[in-house]
Amino acid sequence: MAETLEHTREQFEREAMEHLDALYRTALRMTRNPQDAEDLVQETYLRAFRFFNQYTPGTNIRAWLFRILTNAYINRYRKNSSQPRVASLDQSEDAKTDRTLAQSVASDDNVEAEVLDRLAAEDVRRAIEQLPAPYRLAVLLADVEGLSYNEMAEAMGVKKGTVMSRLFRGRRLLQRALREQAREAGIAKGVPAG
Amino acid sequence: MNCRETIERLYTFLDRELSEAEVAEVQRHLEACPPCVNMFKFEASVKRLVKRCCGEERAPDALRERVQKVLRQYP
Repeated sequence: MAETLEHTREQFEREAMEHLDALYRTALRMTRNPQDAEDLVQETYLRAFRFFNQYTPGTNIRAWLFRILTNAYINRYRKNSSQPRVASLDQSEDAKTDRTLAQSVASDDNVEAEVLDRLAAEDVRRAIEQLPAPYRLAVLLADVEGLSYNEMAEAMGVKKGTVMSRLFRGRRLLQRALREQAREAGIAKGVPAG
Repeated sequence: MNCRETIERLYTFLDRELSEAEVAEVQRHLEACPPCVNMFKFEASVKRLVKRCCGEERAPDALRERVQKVLRQYP
């Protein structure tokens, strides 16, 4: 029995530890705090190890680990009233009219890409951290970690269609926040507020 | 494919979720449509910006050690 546990531990470490940086980065943006991020990642690994028997070897361990991270995050912050709940947030957003990307993009006065490129990394990170949690997670998993929509669906515990709508809204909101940052930094000129 | 249909595929194109045939269709439209090219370029640059600003961070060594220690003490 002890040998089995040791074997499992080795297998788990071999497969799971390589995703530590990705999980930490994501946790850091989700909690907005290095100490909370470390606690969340540690909890994620402990839970993942405890339920490692439910993981099918050879399948996507990265998406599975992100799923555990997501659940741990939701459990933790559901109790905190300052954080919007994922479920309720989605419902309220889904109730709004869902404009097509074409209409939405056309109506947004996009600042030049070069302008956004001149933003400090810290400002970009702050803009990302302003996004409501479900949209923030979608943007991070797609753009930073490069997960496919199917992997994201598993990681976020939602349907692929929900992944796509969260990505869509997350990106629209992020671009709005980035324009705001550019304006505050005095980089973008002549862009009307609001 | 017209502009609307192309823009509807903007994110699935950038996120590499399209089939080869669909990618080719989008590219065929982009070759003839500078406004759509601009839009695609802008969205691609924001995607790269997010990656660049958030993708470099590494977990602290202390966390790695702590996680390994906790795992080895389990249960």
